[in-house]
Amino acid sequence: MNAPNRNSMSIPNPFEEFKTFSFKKKEIPLDHIVQSSEEVMDQIRLGYEKLLEEEAKELVWMVQYNTIIKAYEVAEKYVKEIDYSVEDIEDFCFALENTQKIPYLIPGPAGVYLSALCNYAKEEEILLRLSELKTEINLIGFRLPKGKRLVIDGDTGDFTGIGLEGGELVVEGNAKNWTGAGMRSGKILVKKNIGLHTGEWMMGGEIYVGGRVRGLGNIVEGKVYERDKMIYPGKVRYPNLYY
Amino acid sequence: MEEKERFKEILEEVWPRLKKKHLFPELPMPKIGKVKESLDAEAEEEEGVGLEMKEKQITLNPAFLSRMKGKMAEEKVIEALLDHGIAHYTFCPWDFHTHLMLYAEAKKVVNDKELAKEVANRFIDLIVDTHCVKKGFTEIPQLHKVLKKGKIEEIIASLCQRIWGVDLGIPPSRIAGSGYEDVVRRLARIPYLDRSRWPVSIQKFARTIKHLLVSEEERQKHKGKGRSNPQGEHDLNHYSSEEIDQGLRDYAQKTMALSEFREIVGDFSEELKEAGYGIEGGMGRGSGHPIDADILFYMKLAENYSIPLKKVTIEKRGSLHPHSHCPWEVSAPYQDVDIWTSFGKIMPGITQTWKKREGEGRGKVEATPDCLIAIDSSGSMINPRKNLSYAVLGAACAANAYLRNHSKVGVYNFSDAPMGGKDILDYTDRKEDIYRILCKYFGGGTALDLDDLTPLIKGKKNLDLFIITDMKITNLEALISFLAQTPNRTTAVHIGENPYAARFEKAVQKNKNINIFTVKKKEDIPHIVLGKIKDYFNPTLQKR
Repeated sequence: MNAPNRNSMSIPNPFEEFKTFSFKKKEIPLDHIVQSSEEVMDQIRLGYEKLLEEEAKELVWMVQYNTIIKAYEVAEKYVKEIDYSVEDIEDFCFALENTQKIPYLIPGPAGVYLSALCNYAKEEEILLRLSELKTEINLIGFRLPKGKRLVIDGDTGDFTGIGLEGGELVVEGNAKNWTGAGMRSGKILVKKNIGLHTGEWMMGGEIYVGGRVRGLGNIVEGKVYERDKMIYPGKVRYPNLYY
Repeated sequence: MEEKERFKEILEEVWPRLKKKHLFPELPMPKIGKVKESLDAEAEEEEGVGLEMKEKQITLNPAFLSRMKGKMAEEKVIEALLDHGIAHYTFCPWDFHTHLMLYAEAKKVVNDKELAKEVANRFIDLIVDTHCVKKGFTEIPQLHKVLKKGKIEEIIASLCQRIWGVDLGIPPSRIAGSGYEDVVRRLARIPYLDRSRWPVSIQKFARTIKHLLVSEEERQKHKGKGRSNPQGEHDLNHYSSEEIDQGLRDYAQKTMALSEFREIVGDFSEELKEAGYGIEGGMGRGSGHPIDADILFYMKLAENYSIPLKKVTIEKRGSLHPHSHCPWEVSAPYQDVDIWTSFGKIMPGITQTWKKREGEGRGKVEATPDCLIAIDSSGSMINPRKNLSYAVLGAACAANAYLRNHSKVGVYNFSDAPMGGKDILDYTDRKEDIYRILCKYFGGGTALDLDDLTPLIKGKKNLDLFIITDMKITNLEALISFLAQTPNRTTAVHIGENPYAARFEKAVQKNKNINIFTVKKKEDIPHIVLGKIKDYFNPTLQKR
């Protein structure tokens, strides 16, 4: 008996098409942009974690001149090695609030680290849109050098622009206490209100406030303006008793 | 040949290819027909709306296709629009819950209902188009190139140029000159295709374009018109009522926050009403009443929990036999599922259950009795309309369990009952009425008026009692002696631990018809077993 012709009986294989199918993953520029920005963010995060490790040795982080200088030196060391942009700094500010990625935000070291990032950024003008940030960052603008303009769209915390070294710091919202403390030269513009001890021990430079100044500190030298009116040097003699 | 007929022919030719490209989505054949578009689009130079999606049915606007004549081949326009529409179904938002989640995240940043909707819509569109471009073989970039653009559309197009690597006809100098280069740079860093990061990504997207949208809104207020979206508007019409149900259920479960749920339902109240969400009718749908977001929250949240209910032997005149089919709901019992008409699948919308009816004959059958729920709404309990109340959630789950078994539920909501702090609902199977009484909050002291309970129980041989309270009841002793004399199966749930609960537990431990459960967190709710009778032969119980 002849065997039936196998070819004539076989039904078409529905998966035949897949024999010649080759999967080609298409790359679009977005993939590269996202990947590279994540790599940079990882480096920035790593630097911050190392700074925290260093600072954790001090059980209590006190805002003292020596503590800040020491933290800044550590931050400088890590920041110098990273190639980043302004957008990376802004993303890092929001990443600081994301506790899943960064376990803790210590306002002092975070501000010092962000200041180092701003001071060593390639761009001369830095705009950080931080108005949606839930935390106000302290110490932002620390040692901002000459030739740099840092614009913060949002509010800032205590010790904003301390030790300013000739740069221009613009705060579109409010700034808290001790703003411009110890600044040597440069300009701080606060669009809204400013807290107590403004310009404590400032050695030079100018502070312009669009709203109200709650209190001035012991100013050595420099100028403070409130709504275009110079309030220091002026009649104000006693710190923190201006209002 | 008439233009519409020609479009239809093109559609029929293109559709099989597109289906294959998108891995055969479960979508019906698209139609060519009239779609809702703004009045301005018809008169002005705008292209108007290209497609509309209602309950998975894509409809292409012939007027839009005509307006595109000379700019792009008809076939390519149709393909681009369909690619976009299909990807909404297959990728983003995928389901109603994702849509709600994206909207809620956007609103956290922009703090405005309309702006948040716009942000969510633009974000969803961008994701969908990027997804199609990444997959390749789409005419979407060409469509973007020829569409008329306002300021924001130009910025988005410039962003697309950057992230897709395709020329969309926006010279980089134009964006740099207008000062929006930094906006494009920021937007380009968002991982649009990473679904797990969409909540964070949309917040960044919203932060970056918020000021543009605000200024655009101001401009529109003066001009009195807004641009319509050529790729279709996004509203709840996209979703079927089952998808909306599921989306609300998931959202309630994920957030577990009454205030967030209330806010979302409030923001989408118009659309939900259009989708048939009032408070009367099954599953919270129907017309006639305004949407009570709080009740809807507990309703949707309770649907996520299924608590077991032990049946009792009830003497009937006849036995139950399968009579007709009804659709199976998630968390409904499996034993009545008809596997033949359900094609062997357990899936809402496909699975069918047998609805049983009493037939002729005599005998004892297992059935579920009616239930009286006594819920404490005194000052020591959480106000269910302010925060998530486990008492209401637990009672709602119990009510659902009885209603699913075709029993009726009565509610006795009490605080200081002798002083009038009470509400009584007679036995009913109307879910909305039951939830409304459960969600009532009186505050004040706690005392039961046993004279209220007696007529509700009297004469009902087969009745289950379900009492949920923190046990801080002034006349607790009276309640204990009342329950001790009542032969009905009683499930007592106390919220949290306290000496009163311990006292109650000790007093009724010998009553085999009373079972006590503690609810401290939401995970405790599924552990409640309704109508459980203590096993007399259980050695641990005998020891006690």
